[in-house]
Formats: sequence, C-alpha cells, structure tokens
Amino acid sequence: MRLLTAVLRTIRNSRRLATGLIVLAVLILVALFSPLIVKAIGGGQDPIELAAYDKWQVPSPQHLLGTDQFGRDVLAMVVKALSVSLQIGAIAGVISTVAGVIVAFVAGYKGGWIDNVLSTFTGILLVIPTFPLLIALSAYAKNVSLFQVGVMISIFSWPFAAKTIRSQVLSLRTRPYVDLARVSKARDIEIIVTELLPNLLPFIGVGFASSALGAIFGLVGLEIIGLGPGGVIDLGQIIFNAIGTGALTLGAWPMFVVPIALLTLLFAALNMVNIGLEEVYNPRLRGVAGE
Amino acid sequence: MKSELELRGVQQRFHARGVADGYVTAVDDVSFSLLASPPQIVSLVGQSGSGKSTIARNVLGLQKPTAGSVLYGGKDIFKLSRSEYDAYRRDVQPVFQDPYAIFNPFYRVDRVLWKAVKKFKLADTRAKGLQLIEESLQAVRLEPENVLGRYPHQLSGGQRQRIMLARVHMLRPSFIIADEPVSMLDAQVRRHFLDILLDFQREHGMTTLFITHDLSTVYYLGGEVMVITKGQIVERGPVATVMHEPTHPYTKLLLDSIPSPDPDQRWTTRIQVDELERLDDNTPVDATKPEAPII
Repeated sequence: MRLLTAVLRTIRNSRRLATGLIVLAVLILVALFSPLIVKAIGGGQDPIELAAYDKWQVPSPQHLLGTDQFGRDVLAMVVKALSVSLQIGAIAGVISTVAGVIVAFVAGYKGGWIDNVLSTFTGILLVIPTFPLLIALSAYAKNVSLFQVGVMISIFSWPFAAKTIRSQVLSLRTRPYVDLARVSKARDIEIIVTELLPNLLPFIGVGFASSALGAIFGLVGLEIIGLGPGGVIDLGQIIFNAIGTGALTLGAWPMFVVPIALLTLLFAALNMVNIGLEEVYNPRLRGVAGE
Repeated sequence: MKSELELRGVQQRFHARGVADGYVTAVDDVSFSLLASPPQIVSLVGQSGSGKSTIARNVLGLQKPTAGSVLYGGKDIFKLSRSEYDAYRRDVQPVFQDPYAIFNPFYRVDRVLWKAVKKFKLADTRAKGLQLIEESLQAVRLEPENVLGRYPHQLSGGQRQRIMLARVHMLRPSFIIADEPVSMLDAQVRRHFLDILLDFQREHGMTTLFITHDLSTVYYLGGEVMVITKGQIVERGPVATVMHEPTHPYTKLLLDSIPSPDPDQRWTTRIQVDELERLDDNTPVDATKPEAPII
C-alpha cells in the first residue's frame, strides 16, 4: 500500500516519467490485445496468412496500412510484431535484470575476492562486442525460438545492470542503517532484501528498461540482416521485408515507416521513464525551484 | 548479568594506496575493559581520524580487528557459540553518530523498534510489543503519537536520536556503545540526550562507552576518560584528574581547545600547527594523520 502511494506520488511529480509510462502502457496494451486486434482486422479470416488479400495494396479504408508482397495486412502484421518485440524485451529484460541484480548484490555486499572475481567477469563480458557475436551465434543456431534468442541477448546485457547496481550496493552497504540491522541480528540475505533492495528499485527499474531496449534493438538488428528466429514476425522483420522487396518504390511506405515509428516511440517512452526515474531519485537533476 | 567487555591488544589496519607500506593503522594496540557492574560511563576522546569510531565498530563486532581480540565474558566475540552470540548482541548495543542516516528512508521509524522487539523476542503479542515501545518512547520523553507512523524525514535530529535511545531502553543492554551520539545535535538537545544516558546508568545499570571529540560533554558526564590519538590510548583516568592534571601533551592541547562561553575568557592564544607537528615527532608514525589541526 505504502509502495503504491509512493509510486503514484513519484509519477505525479515527474511529467516525463508520466508521459513515458503512458506511452509504454498503450504499447503494452496493444501488444497484449494483439490476438483480438488481429482477429478484428481479419474479420473472420487470418489477415497474416499468405495471400489473404491482393498483394501490394496501397493504404485504404479496408487495409489502413495496405498489404505486403504476400498479400498480408500490414496493420495486423505490425500489431503482431509489436507484441513479439515487446516479448523479447520482457524475456531478455527479466533474465538480465535478475542475473545482474544477483551478481551485483553478491559482489557488492560480500566484497573481497568474490567481488574481484565477479567484477572481472562482468568487465570481460562488457568489453566483448555483442552484435558480431550475436550474428555468429544466430548464424549457427538454425530455427532458434524467441525464448532462446532472448537468452542469447541477455547473456550480453546483464553486465550493464550488474555494474551500475553493484556500485550502488557498495555505497549503501556502509550506511549506518545497515550496521543497525546487523547489530539487530539481521542475516545478510535479510539485509539485502529488506534494507538495500527497496532503495535500489529505481536503479533496478532503469537496468530493466535499458536491457529490454537493448534486446528489442538487438533482435531488430538481427532481423534486418535476415538472421532472426524462425516463424515469428517482429518489427525488424517487417523492415527487412520492406527493404528486400523495395516496398517504398511500390507505394507501400507504411511497411517501412510504421515499424520504425513504433520503435522510435518505444525507445522514447523507455528513455523518458529512465530519465524520469533518475530525476526523481537524484534530486540534483531536479529543477531548482523543486516541486 | 555479570559480564565484562574487554579489548586486548586490538589493532586495526586498513589497506590504503599511496602510503609507504600499503596500509594505515587506525587502531594500534588498544586494551581496556568495561564492567557491567557497577555501571559506569567511560568516555573515549580523540579528534577525527584518531581511531575512536573504529574501536566502536570493533566492539560492536562490525569489524574484525586485524590483531588482538574483543572479549565478551572472557570469550572472543568472533568465536561465540549461537547462544553466546545472542547474549552478546542483546547485551552490547549502539547509538550511532548520524541521526539522519541511521533510519532506512524507505520505512517508517516504528520499524526500528519493532525489529528490536521481534529479533530479540521482547514480546510475544503485538499488543505487548506496542506497550513496550510506548513505554520506552516515554522513557526518552517522546510522545508515542508524535513519532509512531512517521517517516524519518518528518522527525527532527533530536527526536530521531532519542528513538535510538528508546530502542536501547527496550533492549536494556549492559553496554551502550555511543559513537559521537551528540555531535550532530544542538546544545539543549545535547544536554537532554546526555541526561537520558545518565538516567539509564542510574536506573537500569547500563554501562556506556561514550565516544566523542568534545571534552565539555565528557566533563558533564563524568566517570572515566580515555584519550586516544593516532590509534593509541595516551592517557586514562577519572575525568576530574585528567582534566585538571593532564600529563600527555595531546590532552593539554585538547583542553586548550574547549571554547568557553564566558566573554571575559576569550581565546587569546592560537594553537600553532607546529605544536601538532611536534607531537608527530615523539610518537611512532604508524597512525593516521589528523585530518585537520585544531585551530
């Protein structure tokens, strides 16, 4: 309850955060209801089936965004693809946040040689150029599922979260209230969960948002060069098709513009959330007059 | 409850870059003991960086000394059995310096008190626990309805520090380790706080290790005093003796540094920095440098 009111107050105080969250919520809602929306567009038949309609139709009241080279409805494809892109973001975001948080807390709280080992390991992963490696991995792994791609991407995105959260843990663990908890017989795990974790929620949120974003764009990057997981359409694949078929010259501009616009919107929303959270929790970034 | 807290040859080194041998010695061969009965107040006086807070952390078991040992009831506190450890935790409790940082900003202040109730099994029902908390708050002259349910930032420094005293009052430890508890409080709140400590000694038989840089509070509390500089205890004895007949040059320097509120007795002489330098020469130089000379 207290958490909820605190969150609401935080959101009300930052217009950036509020805007970002609203845009994000709309996108997520569209993704969640994508099966229904797709059904509504199809009106009884599957609008994403091959040759469902005539190919290369320009935008019209029947097909708001036209159809593609196989006669699929582009609006339905985009809605479906948005949900796939958000899924990969969620999968990779959750995995890398969980891994990052665990590593960060163990390293930051325990310190000593454990910290040295873990920090060196995260450091090594951080400097590995991710994208070429992803390309190599997906070229090898034929018919990978969406989840497997998510795991692959998160292998390289958790170190960012781990690095930032660890430094926060280092500064928080010397706070007197941690000492007080220790003399009150609290165990390490209890201190981490009840004393440190709540104060790090904004950082964890930021870590989640940036790894989710990284994953979405990672997948888009793979799809654009034709190396994505099989059997799913994400925003990158629509762009890939648009480029590959020269859709722009055929008047099917929505195929190219709409996915890019959606990705930009998503990027802007997540970044606004990031900046907004930072603003709220780092008072030095707030306006001079305050609230 | 016949217990004794003893430091035997405690030394604490920290790794530091840019120092000749790669470490600084914050506490150097410190030995003293505190007795639970009769209850006493022992003050530990020294300037910033003299190692006094490190001693507090050693005594509280938050930092394992690099050499020597802290003994509780004759046993090393880092080698206690489960039940002995419980007794030690219950019996040795802190009051920290910073009343702002001692509360987790995420929670209401009640949590600190409820945690003590639960962790040390002070009450078996919620009603009894609440009663205990209210009693203790009244003992430190706080109105329970004014502080319970509030967040730390809604209370003043004095109120927050007294909540820590209420916690101590609930736990009734034999030893209070008070690390600069009044340095961030203003003058009359400070006096109030010290009076509560003295009450605790008289009424509940609590022994206090009072760590401070301020000799005037030491004078007010009375009891024994130890003067620490550069990690070593250089002088100890009853407050009156040490204050009136200081033997170590550092103690004299400290005494000269107390401002007097009497307008006829303004400071007329200045403490020269080279007086501090000279002190450096006749003591071994393993210890930390004072952060700033007292001028």
